[in-house]
Amino acid sequence: MLARQSLARARGPAVAAAAAPTQARNMATLREIELRLKSVRNIEKITKSMKMIASTKLAKAQRAMQAGKQYGVANAEVFEHTPSETPAKRKLFVVVSSDKGLCGGIHSSVTKQTRRVFADKDSVVEKDSPIMVIGDKSKAQLSRALPGNLVMSFNQIGRDIPTFADAAGVADLIISSGVEYDSVAIVYNKFVSAISYESAIIEVDTEKALQEAPGFKAYEMEDDVTKDLAEFALANAIYAALVEGHACEQSARRNAMDNASKNASDMISRLQMQYNRGRQAAITNELVDIITGASAL
Amino acid sequence: MSSLWRGSISYNKYTQIAARALRQSLQENQRVAAEKRGLTILRYQKWENGVGGQQVLLNQPTEGKA
Repeated sequence: MLARQSLARARGPAVAAAAAPTQARNMATLREIELRLKSVRNIEKITKSMKMIASTKLAKAQRAMQAGKQYGVANAEVFEHTPSETPAKRKLFVVVSSDKGLCGGIHSSVTKQTRRVFADKDSVVEKDSPIMVIGDKSKAQLSRALPGNLVMSFNQIGRDIPTFADAAGVADLIISSGVEYDSVAIVYNKFVSAISYESAIIEVDTEKALQEAPGFKAYEMEDDVTKDLAEFALANAIYAALVEGHACEQSARRNAMDNASKNASDMISRLQMQYNRGRQAAITNELVDIITGASAL
Repeated sequence: MSSLWRGSISYNKYTQIAARALRQSLQENQRVAAEKRGLTILRYQKWENGVGGQQVLLNQPTEGKA
């Protein structure tokens, strides 16, 4: 940079005009670089602290997930022994996500899975199957993608570890909403490991499907109790999905903030180098001016 | 004895009410820990033809403010 500038000055007054703006530009960019450096440093602090918070929340969320999954497993036991004869035509999709962002691809993962099921031409699922969404982020995405199918949406879940009260409330609203369906498909994010997740679907049968299933006769249950079981099973499955989705969200947020902090620190070192070089170039230019001026006397 | 709640509320609501009664009857330390498990600030809204309705709190707070 220095050699180019002295060459420019040596070429004469015609190019001197070009040299002066370059010098002026350098001084201006020095200020810009300083401002950028300050703001990137702030961002690095913020993302680092968000990563710390997400790490501590992840530990707690994982413990809740281990406990909550037991409910889901016990729940599925009955349904394993009573598979339905006819595949469900009209499924109610319950999409589990959350209200907050900055967590990587959590929300779009569930949304994409739902859209994939609807776009699949081979599936027997009706195209006007109802959808209910938990979480504002997925709600926004799905209200743009499949607006006609949206029936109900829930929010304010996922601020802290989801409770069974949340799941029971959701299950209650689903049942009392009067929506018609043959079975419920809960779309959520499955916790594969602390750095990866994938979208998955839990199927829950309705009371009618349970009663018609051939294997169910072996249990010899009254109709009233079957209705209770179906409702409770729905709440259980929703709870398991909510808790696992929450754990996935915390781990994804931690990874996203970790990447952001790394990128920010890379940017800081690059900008710092640029700033130092620019500062030294400015100093050297001033020295050259002084010396040339002094030698001209 | 047939259940008296069967016609008016669902099984989930019945268990939530029973759980709330149990939590309120615990000793102070355990009660504080258990109350956290019963918290929900769920809000829902119904959708018609791609347009969302009013957001409604599931458990209306006693202060009367939605």
